[in-house]
Amino acid sequence: MKKNLILVIFILLAITLPAQENNAVKFELHWFPQAQFAGYIMAAEKGFYEDAGLNVALYFSDGSDSPLQKLADREIDFCTAWLSQTIALRSAGMKIVNTCQILQKSSLLLMAKKESGITSPQDLNGRRIGLWSGDFSIQPKAFFNKYDIECQEVRQSYNIHGFLADAWEVASAMRYNEYYKIILSGIDEDELVTFSYADYDLNFPEDGIYTCQKTWQQQPEICGKICSASLKGWEYAFQNEEEALQIILKYCDEYKMQTNYAAQKWMLEVIEESIKYQCGDDPESWGKLKIEDYNRVTGILLDQKIISSVPDFADFYRGEK
Amino acid sequence: MRNSRIKRPIVGKLLLYIGIPLLIVYSVILILNYFWSKDNALQQMKDYLVELTAHHASDLNADFAKIAEIPQLLAEFYVSVDQPSRPELEKILTNLIEVNSYISGLTLAFEPYSYERNTRLVAPYVYKKDGQIIVSDMAANGDYTCADWYSIPALLRKPYWSEPYYQQSSEPILMCSYSVPICQNGNMIGIATANISLQDIKRRMVDINIMNGYTFLISRYGTYIYHPNEKDVMKETVFSKAVKYNLPVMRELGRDMVLGKRAVKAFPDPITGYRQMIVYTPIRANGWTLSAVMPERAILSTVYALIVKQLGLMVVGLFVIILIMIWAAYSITNPLRKLVKMTEKLATGDLNVQMENIKGRDEIHELAMVFNKMVIDLKHYINDLTAATKEKEAVESELRIARHIQESLIPRIFPPFPHRKEFALFARCIPAKEVAGDFYDFFFLDEDNLVVVIADVSGKGVSASLFMAVTKTLIKAKSNEFSQPHKILENVNIELCRDNDSAMFVTTFLAVFNAKTGAFTYCNAGHNPPYLLRPDGKISQLENTAGMALGVWEDCQYSCREIKLQKNEIIYLYTDGVNEAMSEENEEFSYARMEAFLSEIREETPRQITEKSLQTVKEYTGAAEQSDDITILVLKNLL
Repeated sequence: MKKNLILVIFILLAITLPAQENNAVKFELHWFPQAQFAGYIMAAEKGFYEDAGLNVALYFSDGSDSPLQKLADREIDFCTAWLSQTIALRSAGMKIVNTCQILQKSSLLLMAKKESGITSPQDLNGRRIGLWSGDFSIQPKAFFNKYDIECQEVRQSYNIHGFLADAWEVASAMRYNEYYKIILSGIDEDELVTFSYADYDLNFPEDGIYTCQKTWQQQPEICGKICSASLKGWEYAFQNEEEALQIILKYCDEYKMQTNYAAQKWMLEVIEESIKYQCGDDPESWGKLKIEDYNRVTGILLDQKIISSVPDFADFYRGEK
Repeated sequence: MRNSRIKRPIVGKLLLYIGIPLLIVYSVILILNYFWSKDNALQQMKDYLVELTAHHASDLNADFAKIAEIPQLLAEFYVSVDQPSRPELEKILTNLIEVNSYISGLTLAFEPYSYERNTRLVAPYVYKKDGQIIVSDMAANGDYTCADWYSIPALLRKPYWSEPYYQQSSEPILMCSYSVPICQNGNMIGIATANISLQDIKRRMVDINIMNGYTFLISRYGTYIYHPNEKDVMKETVFSKAVKYNLPVMRELGRDMVLGKRAVKAFPDPITGYRQMIVYTPIRANGWTLSAVMPERAILSTVYALIVKQLGLMVVGLFVIILIMIWAAYSITNPLRKLVKMTEKLATGDLNVQMENIKGRDEIHELAMVFNKMVIDLKHYINDLTAATKEKEAVESELRIARHIQESLIPRIFPPFPHRKEFALFARCIPAKEVAGDFYDFFFLDEDNLVVVIADVSGKGVSASLFMAVTKTLIKAKSNEFSQPHKILENVNIELCRDNDSAMFVTTFLAVFNAKTGAFTYCNAGHNPPYLLRPDGKISQLENTAGMALGVWEDCQYSCREIKLQKNEIIYLYTDGVNEAMSEENEEFSYARMEAFLSEIREETPRQITEKSLQTVKEYTGAAEQSDDITILVLKNLL
């Protein structure tokens, strides 16, 4: 009887666990294709996943779905997501684990035109500041608290036209994306002043590779392989920038993205900087979540009451130490 | 046939001095013409493009201004009436969209809860789809308050032209919208927005046909709204292209454009690198920029074609000029060459050459005429010369005969009296010309008495020689009548003075030497006094006797002296040709030198003394021409 019970559980597990046949893996990236995901795209294109014995299908989120929810629902096997978001979800009970922390440095920043007279965080007081919602609002809040800034917060759309038209005096931007769009709209870098949260002890590591805890427990090898093949993809992208950019632009065309070579090249360079941040050029040292980063993020999440308890680091992070 | 001695032919010089300067002048004209034409073509194209872009920008500006009127009107209308109901609003919007065909959508979007107290978002929206007018509510698509078309004019509190965007439908359509805040009592209560499709603008841009060039339209932030390369539209900005092609100058141009400047500039084509002319003009209504680009190569193609034609003409012209120069050179050199040949023939002695068929009346013709005259003159001269030469030869021949005769007149066989051992005698006469005026003679009057004569006729040549012959004959004749030297000479003088119209005279020394006794009786008629040479080396001149040269004065009286010659004493007779022989330095041999030479004579025979004398004089005179006859007669008493 006991034997039969074990067998039934095993069969049930076999049915419910995805990606078992031929090591087929569904891997969803949390936004449209762009250089932010160059490593995964190159790993797929150059066969690094296949070389690891994995049959990886890459998916790109269009922003309307939640890859993490899909992960929890076992619709996909892996996804990328922001650290602050995943800690909050883990704290709320979602059994997800970080298998690899790709981006080490936060690219989120505030920017203003120099002509506005803003030079220091205190100058932001009373200004009309464009902010994004959700995870993008955590660092700004912490920043405003830290410097005791009271400002007019404006809900910012996901483009920069409001900033260009001076509807917002200060705008949020990802250094690898919106910031450079401003530059590509004819405003010179020396005409802008920026406040990078990472420079104000508010560094929130961003993209990491996540899977659900069960997958990790049952197929740790696959988790390891996904991470190592992805890092290999990143290494290849940095070493073969032109090739990587051409492939990315091809993906962008397929997804009808309104982007261009210059923007993707800049994005790849900033992402490279973020991956190598405090890690150096050796790929062996990439992709690890540091406890101090974890503590910083959880501390601020606690402060802002986004989480009530801090998930155990060892439970949350299952990647290489 | 080309003459190998001519290193620089005239044709070459013509090419060098005319052809090359001509080529340089042509080239300079061509180059200047190129630059002038180029500047002109660029200026024309610039003017054309400036006018073209200004015209189309003005049209677009007017269109955008017209579109802007509708939401403006709506905003003003809404606050000027009592709040219309939703169906009324929808009807107004429908009417407006029906009337204004260029508007594809109209919205009146209200601030949360401002239109209906219980409804957060109200935004009646009327739009065209497949020719149908559809009424809906923008709120159905989500929260519009953070959309650019709403939030930006709401925050700015002023109208706002949105950046172009794609309206998602079966075929994405490029749109943009103009939004006007609706303000009531100082509060912003909503936004009136008109959407327009950019399809019409795209079609109009396509219709702007610039041969070899193109136009493009960018938004106020540099995004391509229209570009012949469709792939660039809404993806690339002027600035992203500047990065892609690493062209900082393109970024500068883009900055100018988004700042609403108007300019004409040159910049390199991002792909080919060729210079292009770009003209950009702002569209003031919405901050867009219309640009026209024209490759300079295309502008200059007509200039290049013109220059190529001119170059062709220049080459043909130069070719013709060179042919003319060659023809001209040959028309000059041909007669000259003929002349050279003729001259060469002339040089070989052919005096029958004549330059014929020389056309024209130029310098060459003149030269040929002169040449012909020269040949004729030469011919005459040669003929004259030949005749003169013949004449001269005849004279010379006669002179030779005269010389022979003269030579035969004076004894030339030495020793003259081999059987006489009492004395030794030797004489020589070397004439300065063909025939001499000097002479000597010796002959026996009888068994013992030997007459010795030496004489020098005034002057030289034929006349002198004839006078000499007469004198010699007379002396011989008179010697038969008289035995005393002065008598002989007196009678000869009388004869010579008779009919001496030519006033010639002859200095004569005549002696009678008795071979047995050694008595030497002499008479000197104006001749150089002979020397007596003693065996001990002492020398002395024979004392003079009375009388002057023969032929001068008929009545002249002569006397004689007698000396006795001792054994081996020598009488040395000579004419003034010896002592007056001139050196190369024009200095006479002189008596002093003659005496010095004579004083060294001891044992020598008359022949040796004579030859030595002649040799000494010869050595003294060197290369100088012999100025006078030289005659020496040496008599040595051997008893």
